[in-house]
Amino acid sequence: MTLRADFGSRVGDFGLEVGIEAADELVVLYGPSGSGKTVTLRALAGLQRVDRGRIEIGGRVVVDVAAGVERPPQERRVGYVVQEPALFPHLDVRANVLVGVERSPEAHARYERLRAMLHIGGLDGRRPHQLSGGQSQRVALARALVRPTEALLLDEPFSALDEALREEMRGELLRLRRELRLPILFVTHDLREAHLLGDRIAVLDEGRVLQFDSRDEVFRRPRSRRVAELTGVRNILAGRVEGSRVVVRGLALALPADRRPPPGTGRVDVGVRAERCVLRRLDPDGALPENCFVAQVVEDLAFGNAHLLRLEPEAAGPSVLVEVASRPYEVLGVASARRWVVELPPADIQVMPPAGPEAVP
Amino acid sequence: MSALASRSWLAAAALFALFFLLPVAGLGLRALTDGDVASELRSGDSWRALRLSLVTATLATALAALLGTPLAYALARSGRAGSRLAAALIDLPIVLPPAAAGIALLTVFGRRGYLGGPLEELGVSLSFTTAAVVLAQLFVAGPYFVRSAYAGFRAADPRFEGVAYTLGLSRWRTFRSVTLPLVRPALAAGAVLCWARALGELGATLLFAGSLPGSTRTAPLAVLNAFESAAGLAGAVSISLLLVAVALAVMVALSRVTAPGGPYR
Repeated sequence: MTLRADFGSRVGDFGLEVGIEAADELVVLYGPSGSGKTVTLRALAGLQRVDRGRIEIGGRVVVDVAAGVERPPQERRVGYVVQEPALFPHLDVRANVLVGVERSPEAHARYERLRAMLHIGGLDGRRPHQLSGGQSQRVALARALVRPTEALLLDEPFSALDEALREEMRGELLRLRRELRLPILFVTHDLREAHLLGDRIAVLDEGRVLQFDSRDEVFRRPRSRRVAELTGVRNILAGRVEGSRVVVRGLALALPADRRPPPGTGRVDVGVRAERCVLRRLDPDGALPENCFVAQVVEDLAFGNAHLLRLEPEAAGPSVLVEVASRPYEVLGVASARRWVVELPPADIQVMPPAGPEAVP
Repeated sequence: MSALASRSWLAAAALFALFFLLPVAGLGLRALTDGDVASELRSGDSWRALRLSLVTATLATALAALLGTPLAYALARSGRAGSRLAAALIDLPIVLPPAAAGIALLTVFGRRGYLGGPLEELGVSLSFTTAAVVLAQLFVAGPYFVRSAYAGFRAADPRFEGVAYTLGLSRWRTFRSVTLPLVRPALAAGAVLCWARALGELGATLLFAGSLPGSTRTAPLAVLNAFESAAGLAGAVSISLLLVAVALAVMVALSRVTAPGGPYR
């Protein structure tokens, strides 16, 4: 099954322009609040007017503005689950799930299977206020899936849950994805959640899709400075392309052959994730290897499982944030020395078009 | 807060509470001690007026619910223009003095009124009939229902409706089995308020429907009439007592339905 959408929509003075598609996979719509994630889902579900474009769900055209097609939400066959309000408060669990399909034997049969699959057996007669947050979301999922569904739209379904439960529900969702064979669109503003769940990730900002790629591509190869910022790239440095290298604060960094920007590119932004930077012991006699520079630790923040170090260069090279997992941090003895060699591995350097002049310090 | 301050606070509160309770207690006390009240209670007039009041107030409330629910829903879902119109529609009859409301009704539905005149020619006479009582009560008390229903629909998260649509429920089915149950406590509260207000309606009824025994003399009008007649205070007390007793009984019986949070907690 597939979902294909390319449309524009306006809500007040907010304009949305989205192109997205999903096969039997989990696509995460990731972005800050106000970026248009929720509006996108509402437009797909038929709850938000579309001004331009086309939406196809499960091989059926549900919106084609040019052809005057706009199917109501009742005919789109999407499961739509939101964080709040998840369930109808006046109906018990069974009535919530089967509302509108009470007389469908298929729905009843599917409900029996889903009860086992989602571990909600024995909740039938309960009212929503008697359920935990996790149970509510499971029931809401069952309700979405008990009908013929061609795509599942999940709008931050777990964000009201506490961390442990959220972790558990994410695991459940991944298991469900394998069993369902449906396009699943999952909205979140949580970077870890996006990384954990997404087969592919669409990064949204101000109503636009900035990048839509596989998870690793988005995290390792942000296409723009904004995507890098949104996906947690901590080191975004101003640089200049010179020949096959990119120079950052007097340090000429080597790039892999396939990543070299075209000649004459000039100014660029260089992104390096803090956790991809390498810390090496200083060798007093040896020359510095490629992409390395000497720097001093000026700040050390301990986050339990990792340390975030700020290092200032002694000569050439940028000021960088380096994340070191707590085990290597201890083995290296980072706490015992101030001066270190920082390596920015060529494979982890992402060269991006520069931001506007005002954004470069 | 010091003990002294909190004690005087409490005393002030108790005094104000007594201000409300004492007159009601006075009614009861008067009935027990005054033999005339007891005999008035045994006469049929008080009960007839009370029955008329109960019937008309209930009819007016039913009409308010029937016509006010769609109006409140439409206003609640119609954005900013709707909410402004709603505020005007709902507040105007509430702030309008009942006597003025009665006159206003006469100008439209009276025998020579803008609508009443043509109706009269068709042989339909509204003013000074039991129907006029119901209309007066509907005009004065209906807005209380609409106001409560409007607030209820506004508070009912429209995303419930969105979710229901994606589940394949039609608009009508969604309204009937999702939205309406969600606002039922607000509707019930509005109906109780409307009913109570209609039960006590005096001014508009007097001017628009008159005070004809049996057909338009409701309990409040009977109180007024008795007070001005030979029966005097005794008659007025007996009917007032009946009104208070009935109103209290209904309020207590319905308080469970209209409690905040409603029947789903």
